[in-house]
Amino acid sequence: MKYLDEYRDASIVRALAERVRQAATRRWVLMEVCGGQTHTIVKQGLDELVGDAVEMIHGPGCPVCVTPLEQIDKALHIAARPDVIFTSFGDMLRVPGSECDLQQVRARGGTVRVVYSPLDALQLAIRNPDKQVVFFAVGFETTAPANAMAVWRARELRIPNFSVLVSHVTVPPAMTALLSAPDNRVQGFLAAGHVCTVMGWSEYEPIAAQYRVPIVVTGFETVDIMEGMLMAVEQLESGRFEVENQYVRSVKREGTVPARTLVSEVFELVDRKWRGIGEIPRSGLGLRPEFADFDAELRFGLSDLSVAEPAECRAGDVLRGKLKPFECPAFGVSCTPERPLGAPMVSSEGACAAYFNYGRLRRREKEREGSMTAEVPS
Amino acid sequence: MCLGIPGRIIERHDDGGLAMGVVDFGGVRRSCCLAYVAKDVEPGDYVIVHVGFAISKVQEEEARRTYEALRELSQLDELDWMRETADLGLAEMRSPLPTRTPAEDVT
Repeated sequence: MKYLDEYRDASIVRALAERVRQAATRRWVLMEVCGGQTHTIVKQGLDELVGDAVEMIHGPGCPVCVTPLEQIDKALHIAARPDVIFTSFGDMLRVPGSECDLQQVRARGGTVRVVYSPLDALQLAIRNPDKQVVFFAVGFETTAPANAMAVWRARELRIPNFSVLVSHVTVPPAMTALLSAPDNRVQGFLAAGHVCTVMGWSEYEPIAAQYRVPIVVTGFETVDIMEGMLMAVEQLESGRFEVENQYVRSVKREGTVPARTLVSEVFELVDRKWRGIGEIPRSGLGLRPEFADFDAELRFGLSDLSVAEPAECRAGDVLRGKLKPFECPAFGVSCTPERPLGAPMVSSEGACAAYFNYGRLRRREKEREGSMTAEVPS
Repeated sequence: MCLGIPGRIIERHDDGGLAMGVVDFGGVRRSCCLAYVAKDVEPGDYVIVHVGFAISKVQEEEARRTYEALRELSQLDELDWMRETADLGLAEMRSPLPTRTPAEDVT
């Protein structure tokens, strides 16, 4: 395994992979819901290392990738206004909207600034009282505490020219939606370690019990993921469906309580569209009514904007595990990291970009060529 | 933005009622919010920071491993975002940010 050789814990990972292969009496289908884990799995070839024991489906674990087109279009609309300084995490700038992306809005004269933290955006608002400063509040539960604090602080300091375009999503409702689908293939989950560092894992316990799936809270490093896979396979083989914690060095059952508390004071659960998946009930976070003054959609009158997803991008099928990225006709042809059709090709945490960057397309083509010239005995 | 970056708290202070501190990320220093871990941390401690907010305290060895793993995965983009805000004078930069080489750039 070329990729793994470069990794310092290669021998541990190989030993764990061997245990996964020995534990499995059949092929199990697991899903990870974390862009960081997807990146590690594809880069190090971990799914290939366990052979037929486990099929890994790369779930909707990248917040950039699941942000629906209409939220991007709202961002573009606001960013183009001359009275606005639009602020965002760096990885949203190249996500294509219906007509362009934030980078192009900037090139046409819009003021778009990359910030590291939402508090930077708030600081910009304080320093530019004659401008409207809007922050694009995206992400899973990992960025929600930061965005909640920025809004809380804006109200506390009475900053009138600050608002947030909220497109927050939460992981557990997406897992439930995937498991409820009639054609679901997922038999177990690796839950995202850093999400659970914030939120803990109590939310996952009813899901594991109701749908009879093991859920293993897992870190994002190579050894973590292989260990998470082993724990999930061992549960499946012994007929257990529990929430287990592989990432004990970071995650506690109750999570980070002060962060969870502020998130629930500022945000409430709302129905949210996921790119390629559609609307999932109570799967997003929206501002509570008492913070409506800081809602950019209300401030700029964009609440009713609705946009259809483009047909050529099969991101939804990739995120639901129906299609491997390289099976998409556009992959590497009309869709590349330089000219992405959809978000999973934009973010380095996206499944399509990970497959593209780590040469999975070329490897598959080689395999295909090989199978045409010589039949490999099974 | 999904993965937090480990850093070491250099100092902490109160900013109008908000617990803040300067955190060192492998030589890059900037101001971060410590409100969510305020009871558990002091200067010298290592924390995992998500978009400017410390979310959990970790041991030094774990912090080192995590930083190294992020570097191997080219998942330190957020350090670049810090550079983008440095010119605004928002971050408390006390050392120059490293320039990223194209080889490290995944996207």
